[in-house]
Amino acid sequence: MPTELPYAADAEVSLSYDELEVLRLQYQKELSQSHVTTQTKFNYAWGLVKSPMREHQAEGVRLLQELYRAEPSRRRECLYYLSLGHYKMGNYDEAKRFNSLLMEKEPTNLQAQSLASLIDQRITKEGYIGMAIAGGAAALGTILLASLIRRATRK
Amino acid sequence: MAQSKEQTGPVNVKLLLIGNSSVGKSSLLLRFSDEQWLPEDESSATIGVDFRVHKLDVKGRKVKLSIWDTAGQERFRTITSSYYRGAQGIILVYDVSNRESFEALPRWYSELETYVSKSVVKIIVGNKEFSRQVPYSDGQRFAERMGSLFMEASAKTATGVREAFQEVVEKILDTPELWAAAGQKRGTGLGGANGSAQGSMPGSINLSETQDGEGSSGGGCAC
Repeated sequence: MPTELPYAADAEVSLSYDELEVLRLQYQKELSQSHVTTQTKFNYAWGLVKSPMREHQAEGVRLLQELYRAEPSRRRECLYYLSLGHYKMGNYDEAKRFNSLLMEKEPTNLQAQSLASLIDQRITKEGYIGMAIAGGAAALGTILLASLIRRATRK
Repeated sequence: MAQSKEQTGPVNVKLLLIGNSSVGKSSLLLRFSDEQWLPEDESSATIGVDFRVHKLDVKGRKVKLSIWDTAGQERFRTITSSYYRGAQGIILVYDVSNRESFEALPRWYSELETYVSKSVVKIIVGNKEFSRQVPYSDGQRFAERMGSLFMEASAKTATGVREAFQEVVEKILDTPELWAAAGQKRGTGLGGANGSAQGSMPGSINLSETQDGEGSSGGGCAC
């Protein structure tokens, strides 16, 4: 029986406060010595992207973008986690853009394929919710309007 | 026997695949869970960690396997180390045609010492079977020394793949220590941060406190 795909392991579980703190302290330490290694920066960015807090995710994405530009050898994982970060923040266009860059280079990458359908699924789902909200608002508007008209005509 | 769950529900088991890069961890998993095979030029190195759920029957019990497939590349070591917690079985993979990947196993064992309790079931799987550089007996002898199961398998031809997973799960079900704690502590509970702690491998940071011997959390995955 195959796995219930799509799935992205790193999108599901966050680090604990202490774990993220380990990564942050290492990053701060190197920052204060004005030499941050790629590894430290990547680790911290990854931890941030996994966080449930939006400002963490945004900071993670920012660091990954810097890494992407500075480290050609790290591009594939940067693209993947950039996509994941944007996905978590609800920036689905960005998420798709970064993931398709990865898929252009690695069309058979199963993780990228899985992430792509994960993003599409979320877009569809939020599309429905959006429609439901819009529909609900329209219905509410109609009721209000109707009651206003009724009140107006009663006078 | 595993008695942590009511007889009716499936038993949750968490497995982790580790080993050097491009020894075929993902290929073994793909073969096992999807009965598929991707040729080398079409498969890409795992980024961080990948995941599959697979259900199977072992000794008449329904088992739901959560299998975490970790990247072998050095630079993902910190990421992958965060997934060790709660694993009940570890599949250590090397490539039979690559002596270096076999000789790296002791380093993987020292990783295990850091992250998982002693009772966790280990199996060494020699993958690929072609242009052999590591004799079967070498693998077997080393596994014995490490108190681990051993098997050769080929993700390409499917030989031994199912058997390897089956064996590790059977042993897990037969290891009461792995079920005693019955803690469904999920994911990421750890105590004080230890900022300066370095993992046993370069470039990795130890995210977790060393676990103290006794059975750690069972069935960690919350999927």
